[in-house]
Amino acid sequence: MKNLNSIFAAYMIGWGVFFLFFVSIVKRTRDLQSEVERLKKNMLREK
Amino acid sequence: MLRRILFGAVAIGLVACAAYAAFYVAPEERTMGAIQRIFYFHAATAWAGETTFFVCFVANLLYIWKRKPHYDWLGVTCAEVGAACITVVLITGPIWAKPVWGIWWTWDARLTSTFVLWILYICYLLLRTLVDEPERRALLSALFGVFAFIDVPIVFGAIRWWRTQHPAPVIMGGPGSGLDPLMKKVFFFNVLAMHVFAAFLIVQRYFLEKAKHDVALLQREAEVR
Amino acid sequence: MALLSNAAVLVGKEVRTEFRSRELLSTTIVFVLIVVVVFSFTFDPTTNESRRFGPGLLWMAFLFAASLMLQPCFLREQVNDTLSALRLAVRDPFAIFLAKIAANTLFLLLTELLMLPVFAALFNASFGAQLPGILLTFLLGSLGISVVGTALAAISAQARMRELLLPLLLLPLLTPILVVSTEVTIRLMQSEPYLEWKGIGLMAAFDAVFLTVLWLFGEYFLEE
Repeated sequence: MKNLNSIFAAYMIGWGVFFLFFVSIVKRTRDLQSEVERLKKNMLREK
Repeated sequence: MLRRILFGAVAIGLVACAAYAAFYVAPEERTMGAIQRIFYFHAATAWAGETTFFVCFVANLLYIWKRKPHYDWLGVTCAEVGAACITVVLITGPIWAKPVWGIWWTWDARLTSTFVLWILYICYLLLRTLVDEPERRALLSALFGVFAFIDVPIVFGAIRWWRTQHPAPVIMGGPGSGLDPLMKKVFFFNVLAMHVFAAFLIVQRYFLEKAKHDVALLQREAEVR
Repeated sequence: MALLSNAAVLVGKEVRTEFRSRELLSTTIVFVLIVVVVFSFTFDPTTNESRRFGPGLLWMAFLFAASLMLQPCFLREQVNDTLSALRLAVRDPFAIFLAKIAANTLFLLLTELLMLPVFAALFNASFGAQLPGILLTFLLGSLGISVVGTALAAISAQARMRELLLPLLLLPLLTPILVVSTEVTIRLMQSEPYLEWKGIGLMAAFDAVFLTVLWLFGEYFLEE
């Protein structure tokens, strides 16, 4: 297939961008969820 | 949670099928050869990005009208997902252009307007980082979002007129320009798949925004106590 | 109409405030001059090239100058909270915007008209016969810049890094004005000059659309 490298690069880089975006969402969500747990635990302790 | 995983699986499945169709079902293009197959991914992502920006616009209007925080969350979510889509479009386009036309970039109407569109939504996201108070941030970014969306067709029209003043070879003919019927089917299947995938990203990002809101609420409660 | 009479009074205030010190106008004019000179160093300003690049350079200078000139628009209303006083004084908050847009358009237009002979001298261009066309182009361009710029100044006044934020938000939104006004000005400066009515129409449409959007949403920009 002619220009196979370019098609490969386009699909890889394109899906790479989406993958990185998705990973960043998941990471940020996990960090916030652990923050929610920490705050809830603190509030229970204070009670 | 299970529903979201299922949605993700469906989205990935659709996208995989769409890519398969792009490579093995769609006929080979006569002049460009195999590299034209990038078009199915590139143009479908562009359409998904534009739909996402339209949803962002509607969310912005709804926020200005109703002032419910979830419209703001939807707005920023769609802006980020849309910006990601257009980033992919701006990267895959030049990768397609270079082997076929020998140039990475040309200042034709579609490319230039897409670039301006991308910059506008990056500005929207930047604006949000510069306003601390949540309600003010939501209102100001919604107002800018409305301005930005209304500007987009004007930008496109102005740049298209500008380019007719300086004729240059038009590259990347639009999806409708003489597409084989089978190519059209594969293209619209790719469009559907990218929309479903974008919707999946929107759902994930929306829940992140909701989690941010919950954390802020809890922090305020903790301070009060 | 109460809206127009309120706006007229406020325009008077804006103009009087500016002409007391004239600091905004003078710094803007000097800035435009500096930008034109500095940009000229980036290409060889012989007659042919300057005819092609000159108008673009001029409009870029106007845009940069406007993005700086529009900063104090709402910032100065934050001192002593005069914005609240203005809001109480008028029934329709759009009057405040109309007044600021009119004043900013006037200041921009003054700057542009003062720069025109300087530009003509520096780039050996002559506009004599095309003066009405040039005036119309400057007017519609300045109006477009002011409408969008005043709205965004209201936004950036409420954010951090406002000095950088206003140009950041303004320049991409004003792409149509830059593109179209440059083309129209090039047509007015070429060897067989004429007024490109399609371009004028596009600029007028831009101004009308954003003025309408601001009329619909103006009050939200000024919310407490």
